[in-house]
Amino acid sequence: MKIGVPREVVAGERRVAVTPETVQSLRGLGFEVIVEAGAGVGARFTDDAYLAAGATVIDDTRALWSGTDIIIKVRPPAQNEAMGCHESDLLPHEGRLISLLFPGQNEEVVARLAERKATVLALDCIPRISRAQKMDVLSSMSNIAGYRAVIEASHHFGSFFGGQITAAGRTRPARVLIIGAGVAGLSAIAAARGLGAEVRAFDTRAAAREQVQSLGAKFLEVDFEEAGEGAGGYGKQMSKEFIEAEMRLFAEQCAEVDIVITTALIPNKQAPILITQEMVESMRPGSVIVDLAAERGGNCEATVPDQTVEVSNVTIIGYTDLTSRLATHASQFFGNNVVHLLDDMCGDEGFYVDLEDEAVRGALVLHVGEMMWPPPPIVPKAPPPAPAPPPVVAPADPVLPAVDEPDTGAGLGRSLGGLALALSFAAIGATADAAFIQHFTVFVLSCFVGWQLIWNVTPALHTPLMAVTNAISGIIIVGGIIQGAATETNLSVILGVVAILVASINVFGGFLVTQRMLKMFRK
Amino acid sequence: MENLTNLVTMAYLAAGILFILSLGGLASQETARRGNLYGIIGMVLAIAAVLALAMADTPRPTTLPLMLGALALGGVVGAVLAARVAMTSMPQLVAALHSFVGLAAVLVGVSTFLHPHGEAVGVVELIEIYVDVALGAITFTGSVIAWAKLEGRMSGKPLLLPGRHLLNAAVVVGVVVIGGLFVKTSEPGAAILGLGGLEWLLVMTVLCSVLGIHLVVAIGGADMPVVVSLLNSYSGWTAAAAGFMLQNDLLIVTGALVGSSGAILSYIMCKAMNRSIWNVVFGGFGTAEVAAPSDAPAVEGEVQAIDVDGVAALLAEASSVVVVPGYGMAVAQAQHLVNEFGELMRGKGTEVRFAIHPVAGRLPGHMNVLLAEAGVPYDIVLEMDEINDDLADTSVVLVIGANDIVNPGALEDASSPIFGMPVLEVWKAGTVVVLKRGMATGYAGVGNPLFFKSNTRMLFGDAKDSMGGMVSALRS
Repeated sequence: MKIGVPREVVAGERRVAVTPETVQSLRGLGFEVIVEAGAGVGARFTDDAYLAAGATVIDDTRALWSGTDIIIKVRPPAQNEAMGCHESDLLPHEGRLISLLFPGQNEEVVARLAERKATVLALDCIPRISRAQKMDVLSSMSNIAGYRAVIEASHHFGSFFGGQITAAGRTRPARVLIIGAGVAGLSAIAAARGLGAEVRAFDTRAAAREQVQSLGAKFLEVDFEEAGEGAGGYGKQMSKEFIEAEMRLFAEQCAEVDIVITTALIPNKQAPILITQEMVESMRPGSVIVDLAAERGGNCEATVPDQTVEVSNVTIIGYTDLTSRLATHASQFFGNNVVHLLDDMCGDEGFYVDLEDEAVRGALVLHVGEMMWPPPPIVPKAPPPAPAPPPVVAPADPVLPAVDEPDTGAGLGRSLGGLALALSFAAIGATADAAFIQHFTVFVLSCFVGWQLIWNVTPALHTPLMAVTNAISGIIIVGGIIQGAATETNLSVILGVVAILVASINVFGGFLVTQRMLKMFRK
Repeated sequence: MENLTNLVTMAYLAAGILFILSLGGLASQETARRGNLYGIIGMVLAIAAVLALAMADTPRPTTLPLMLGALALGGVVGAVLAARVAMTSMPQLVAALHSFVGLAAVLVGVSTFLHPHGEAVGVVELIEIYVDVALGAITFTGSVIAWAKLEGRMSGKPLLLPGRHLLNAAVVVGVVVIGGLFVKTSEPGAAILGLGGLEWLLVMTVLCSVLGIHLVVAIGGADMPVVVSLLNSYSGWTAAAAGFMLQNDLLIVTGALVGSSGAILSYIMCKAMNRSIWNVVFGGFGTAEVAAPSDAPAVEGEVQAIDVDGVAALLAEASSVVVVPGYGMAVAQAQHLVNEFGELMRGKGTEVRFAIHPVAGRLPGHMNVLLAEAGVPYDIVLEMDEINDDLADTSVVLVIGANDIVNPGALEDASSPIFGMPVLEVWKAGTVVVLKRGMATGYAGVGNPLFFKSNTRMLFGDAKDSMGGMVSALRS
């Protein structure tokens, strides 16, 4: 079977779907690869390199489209200005296409392809299951976008990322806030940390905490509990209260940080606005915002897609072609994802659409012209969905319940406790005799003194503390002496004397062993 | 006589203040020794005052030599115990001392019943005696069992009788009912079921003794720090109850101080294990809900063993080392070698610190005492909260005979029985070397994923031998 790799026609697109390296892999799978001349130029792959890898290079675009069995490209089919026609019209009848497609946003293109009875696999629709990870173009591209976002930010940021102490003065490390710890966010964290910045990250999904922390960034939290795990490892839309808490957090953070990188997307929805105009204005002059959601409307109110704008001395970068700005490696990853998909699909017959294969079924948009999208939902298996609370975060649930959530409950408990205390005080006051009440007063006050006192004891001295309290609880010896002396009954005296004996073991033993231990503590 | 009573009361006040200062002194290592001295002065003052008072109106002056003799004998026994005890055996000693307080309280209580202190014996006084004896008996037998468990005379495993909660509840109800009978029969000559007041008091003492035994046998070895602190607390409340009984404010003050102290320590321990006091006392590790064997297979994989030379090579390149001691270090008596190791490493310019988990060992602060005994300076011995954030920047962590307190499952695995317990996050360090006899689980009976992490190396063998090997490797 012949695979055709056309030159990308969208302005600014520098990636190419197949690199010389992947040509070799595809040939290994039994495909013949035909590349349009100049297809790899933007990603720094020469035609010679393709030839050397065993591909055929041809000049004629139309011949490339019509003369091959499978077309593999990066961008969805678009208008080819040079030829004055739409790419989908170049696809032969019952042709096959593998590319990014975003069928939800490109209905017209899908319709055109359907007319041609095409079979189309959208790489952006590969389901997020473990098995399909190697084909997941969105992940591999997000990784690149996250890295590039940091590079772009540092380019526009007039300061160091890492702190420096030099003879010419010192600088503090840049503070970077990353919103959304998906693949792009995590990659951005790693890149920013690599440059030496102090990084904090926020995500609604609790499972992100450990991932964020493992990269050495601080995980920010709102004081509001709601699980953010949506289907397929993406975030879901959160409740109104949560969003309010979240916005307060961002407003606080914006005033502190130098760089904000936003990566928040919700499947098939406009990207949520997380950074408002006021927050932008509250940032220090020279700060930079990189909005990775620019293509879907942006997470920042001031974002202009594909542009760099300045609002009150803050640079806002809305590039939608970040992956294209790292074209060589982006192409390499893209190509490898495609190879894995084809490897999964073909066996030796070339190209077989297996409707039972979750990964293929998910990506399949048109099957010989028949609309297959959206695919039936997959029973979620891989990434942690909501039902069992994800283990990593769970400390938030069982560990600190008393501190975190039931503020009202604790308050209620406290007032109930207070009431009970007041009632028992009243009961004692009403019934007990004066002597008892006097002793009781001493007792309660002593408990409070003890309570205040013991918290000051350093944990390292807890063993000596036990020994010394042990010794002074030997004060029971006083009881033994009183009883031993104040009576004529023989039995009573004997009991008293034995009590003195055992209590004095306590007194002497306790104090001496404490002394011995304390002598050992040295600086 | 009036004057003497007032003088003695003032002496009690002074003693109380000295005890407060004594506990206050323990706030830091610098003031701790002075604190202990205050305690001793307070105690001497109290004993002298009460002796003076007791002798002034005693009907039988001959008891004085008897009492002084008992005091001296007890003093000698106590001094010998204190001088001889190995620092690794501190938990046993503390438990044993608690039992003496309990025993003394029972004796004083019974004695008071036989010869009441005040003129009129009302219901309140009877209840005070009853409570004092009950608390004393529980403290006494509970401490004896705790001592036996810590000393190894008894298995550290929790003994769980069927229906034990019911049993406990029945005993408590029984104690209350007998309390009623006791009050009713306390008049001379009065009897119910043929038993008089004293007999009923003794029946209750036996019941409470059984309760004390039963409560402590059900608690596993790892929970001993909590139990010992709890018994510490009980011994305080017992003394306070005796104070009510004898109408003695010094006993009340001291008892309340000790009682709060033990309660706070128990609370700290429980928090460090993320468990409630109820769970520790009545839950029992290794009971049905845990079912360790079915959980254990969750942890699997390859462990990477290492030998002493390998560790020495690792250490040669380390810029910072953190040592995490656990009960295993105490058992192997390796603390002196650990100190020597620390000195050698510090001599080479490596930063060496010690990380102490609040529940490491069998007594609150036990590890600190052992390290202090070996001569480790206390300013490089840090608490968990002080060091956890630094572990990620540490080159090598040496875990010596610790298991549950470094278990990542406590943070990551919701099904783990120790889930939610704060732990030392040693796996964040460059390399973790675990000194361990074999692959056995810790007291919680939980598998430890730490051993299977890619940056973990296992150094199998006795901790003392391993440390000795490392010290000589560092020397050469």
